[in-house]
Amino acid sequence: MRTIEPWVERPLTTFVAEAQVRVALLMTSSGQVVAQHGFTRSLDVMTAAALGAGIVASTREIAREMSAGTFGAVVHQGPRLGVYLMPFEMPGGTWIGLAVFGPDTSLGIVQLFFGKLVDDLVREAPREAPTRQVLPETFEDDLNQSLRALFGR
Amino acid sequence: MPLVNLTAREITCKLVYYGPGRCGKTTNLQYIHGRVPENRRGRMVSLATQSDRTLFFDFLPIELGVISGFTTRFQLYTVPGQVYYNATRRLVLQGADGVVFVADSQARRFDENVESFKNLQDNLLEQGVDVRQIPLVLQYNKQDLPPDLILSPAELDDTFNFRSVPSLPADALHGTGVFETLKALSTVVLQRLAARPPSL
Repeated sequence: MRTIEPWVERPLTTFVAEAQVRVALLMTSSGQVVAQHGFTRSLDVMTAAALGAGIVASTREIAREMSAGTFGAVVHQGPRLGVYLMPFEMPGGTWIGLAVFGPDTSLGIVQLFFGKLVDDLVREAPREAPTRQVLPETFEDDLNQSLRALFGR
Repeated sequence: MPLVNLTAREITCKLVYYGPGRCGKTTNLQYIHGRVPENRRGRMVSLATQSDRTLFFDFLPIELGVISGFTTRFQLYTVPGQVYYNATRRLVLQGADGVVFVADSQARRFDENVESFKNLQDNLLEQGVDVRQIPLVLQYNKQDLPPDLILSPAELDDTFNFRSVPSLPADALHGTGVFETLKALSTVVLQRLAARPPSL
């Protein structure tokens, strides 16, 4: 389990245990990872988040084009695994949850506990955004060094 | 805004390559994908048509390393360049921390470049972002073509570079200017982050 903010960890851990999902991912609507459980490589998480956010964004756009209000969850059920994708509102904007589940649970259970997860997250979210200086003024030298190391020039 | 994990000391930034169809956006990402060591990049995802034109987006996550104590990752996206895919372009642009505008240097593509640049401004404005505020780098691609077919960087600057942002000549197919462009945008995006407080 990895989270951006510590307050996300408890609700997500509870959701994973209760809903018996194999993978859980929380992201912003622009595809930035907020928290994850079940992935082994951080770069793979980013790919899943980018694709998940893309699916939700395009589904919402279809709803808008068709004047259909908003669509709820997107669910894909395969022979072995199912994927549940659901946008929800947090105090700081829209987040998206993605859960991958197997035959040891069901869509109904995942939906049920996802609703509880959203309630828990909204309740525990801090009401004010932190205002802190992140990078020291010397970061540019570090940046140039990293870019040289990565790109070999 | 970039996503900053203060606990794990991680920064994630979303960078978008924008420009007209066939200007070389996907080629930029393919070159980066081919040159960055495997342990520092993820899989490149391309949601493309059967004829390999970008349908939704290309996506490539890369890890820059530790910068001032923060593990820094970039999510590189391209948008579909063709005019009729504007709805998907708007979606990909959402939440971008910086934009590379890739212009096709061929003189006969000048109008498409202008249209795409205006489209970028419109789509940013629709999201409440002023094109004069967002970190932007211009890349003048295909500068390897014969001089009589292309416009020079100075000529392209006259049209597109009203903000005096970094502009770089490139030949993305062979890699010239590709990393320099990414480096220029990284610098601007992270400089902006250093000057502003983070938010989730």
